[in-house]
Amino acid sequence: MRKTLFTAFVIMSISLLKAQTATPYELAVGLRVQKTEQLYWENGVGADFTSDFLLHKKIHLKLSYASSRLGSAMIGNAVRQDNVLVGADWHFRSDKDFQLFAGLNTGFFHADMELPQFDVLPHNSMLLQLETGLFYKFKFPVATSLSVAYNVINGDGVNIPGTLFPVYYQLSVFYYINKK
Amino acid sequence: MKKNKIYIILSFLAVFLAACNPSPSLDDKTMLDYGQISYALPDSLNKHLLSAYLPNPTPSQLNTPVIICAHGYTATTFEWDELRAYANTKGTFLVSQVLLGGHGRSYQEFKKSSWEDWQSSITEEYQQLSKKGYKKIYLAGSSTGAPLIVNMIKNNFFKPDSLPKGVFLVDPIIVSSNKTLTLVGLLGPILGYLTVDMAAGEKGHWYVYRPQETLKELMALIDLTRIDLEKGIYLPVGTTMKVYKSEKDETADPVSAFMIYKGMRTSSGGNIEVEMESSNLHVFTRLEGRDNITAEQRALQQKAFADMESRMTK
Repeated sequence: MRKTLFTAFVIMSISLLKAQTATPYELAVGLRVQKTEQLYWENGVGADFTSDFLLHKKIHLKLSYASSRLGSAMIGNAVRQDNVLVGADWHFRSDKDFQLFAGLNTGFFHADMELPQFDVLPHNSMLLQLETGLFYKFKFPVATSLSVAYNVINGDGVNIPGTLFPVYYQLSVFYYINKK
Repeated sequence: MKKNKIYIILSFLAVFLAACNPSPSLDDKTMLDYGQISYALPDSLNKHLLSAYLPNPTPSQLNTPVIICAHGYTATTFEWDELRAYANTKGTFLVSQVLLGGHGRSYQEFKKSSWEDWQSSITEEYQQLSKKGYKKIYLAGSSTGAPLIVNMIKNNFFKPDSLPKGVFLVDPIIVSSNKTLTLVGLLGPILGYLTVDMAAGEKGHWYVYRPQETLKELMALIDLTRIDLEKGIYLPVGTTMKVYKSEKDETADPVSAFMIYKGMRTSSGGNIEVEMESSNLHVFTRLEGRDNITAEQRALQQKAFADMESRMTK
C-alpha cells in the first residue's frame, strides 16, 4: 500500500516538475467535505493538478486527506478514521468552465480502535474507488467539484474495517495557487 | 420517427416498472414465510412469554431474576430456546421469550411491519412483568433485538419505579456486514426481496425471504441507533450493560460493539462492558439448527450463559 502511495506521489511530483519546466500547468489546493451514505461526515484537504502535458488538461491528478476527526468525531462518538487518497480523473469538456469528470482513486484507510480489546477488529485497508462528478472553474482563481464515489473495497465483518462504507459524496473548493 | 422513439422509451419504462418490487413464490408450506407455521398463535405465545406461562407468580418468583429475550431480524423465539433450557436446568432465573411484531407469522405480515411494531412486543412484555411486580427484570437482545432495546433506553421508556437491573446484548447490529444494504433505499424497489440460505435445522424458524420494505426498516433502525450512539446514551440509574460480540460476523459487523462501547455510558458516566468472543458465528449463543457445531462453540455459549446467570443472581 505504501508503495502505491509512494509511486503515485512520485508520478505527481515528476508531472509537476515537467509541467513547470515545459508546459503551462494548474495547481489548486483546497478544502474537502465528504459525507458517506448512512455514515459520517469526513472533512479535510485536497489538491488538484493538471497540465497541457497531461493530454491538454484532460487528465487531472489529485491528492486528498479526509477524516472523521475533522467531521463527525469532532462533535460526537463517531469512530476516528482517516482516508488518504491519490487519483486520476478524465475531464470531459476540459476547455470549458463547466466540466464533467470520471476517475479512479486508490489510497489508504485507517480506523482508530482506541483500546487494545478492539485490536482484534480489522482497522486498516487499501482504498479503491470509482468516482464521477462535476467540476466548475470560476472566472476568478477558484474551482469547485461535486462528486459521488463508490468504494470497490468495503467492510465485510471479517477482514475489512466495518466503517468502510461503499458510497460517499464529496464537495471540494480549490484555489489556484499559480493563477490570478 | 419521434413517436416511435417515445413508444420505445415508454415500453422500456413499463417493463421496468412491472419488474419492480417482485414478490417471491410462496409454495413451500415448511417455510415460515408461507404462513402455515406460526409462532404468533396463542399456544406458542403462552409457552414463550413469562407473563402468559406464569400468570400468577408467587412472592418468591417475583423476587427471582427474569430476563426478557428479544431475537433478531427475521428470527423467532427459537433464537433464545437454549437460554430458556439453561435457565430451566439451573432454576435460578426465569426467561421470557418475546416474539417481535411482524415476525414468526407470514411473509405478508412481515412485509407490512415497521421496526416500531417489532419493538412493541418487548415494551408490552416489560410493562406486563413490571405490573405483576417482578423486582429484578433484565433484558437481552440478540442482533436486531439489541438496537430495539438501546432505542428503548434512549427514549426513556423505563420508569424510575421499574428500572431494569441489566441489559445483555449478543452480537448487536449497529452496522450491517453487508454494506450493500446501505443502498437499499435505491436498489430495494428493483430487488423486491432478498433470499437467505439456511441450514435444514433452521428452516421454519426464520423467514427465508427478506422484503425490501423490512430491510429499509432495519436500516432505518440501525442508522438511527448509530446516530443516537454518536450523541451519547446514558443507562438508567442502577442498570448495567454487557455486550458479547463475535470477532468475525458476516451479518452484524463487529465494529458495532466498538460503536456501542463509545456511545453508551452508565448513569454515572462510566464505560459499559464489552467482551469480544473468539467466534465467527452470528448470535453465537444460538447453536441449535446449525450444522457442524464444535465443542469450542458449545463451550463459548455455555460460558456466556453462565456469565449472564452470575450477573443476574449475584
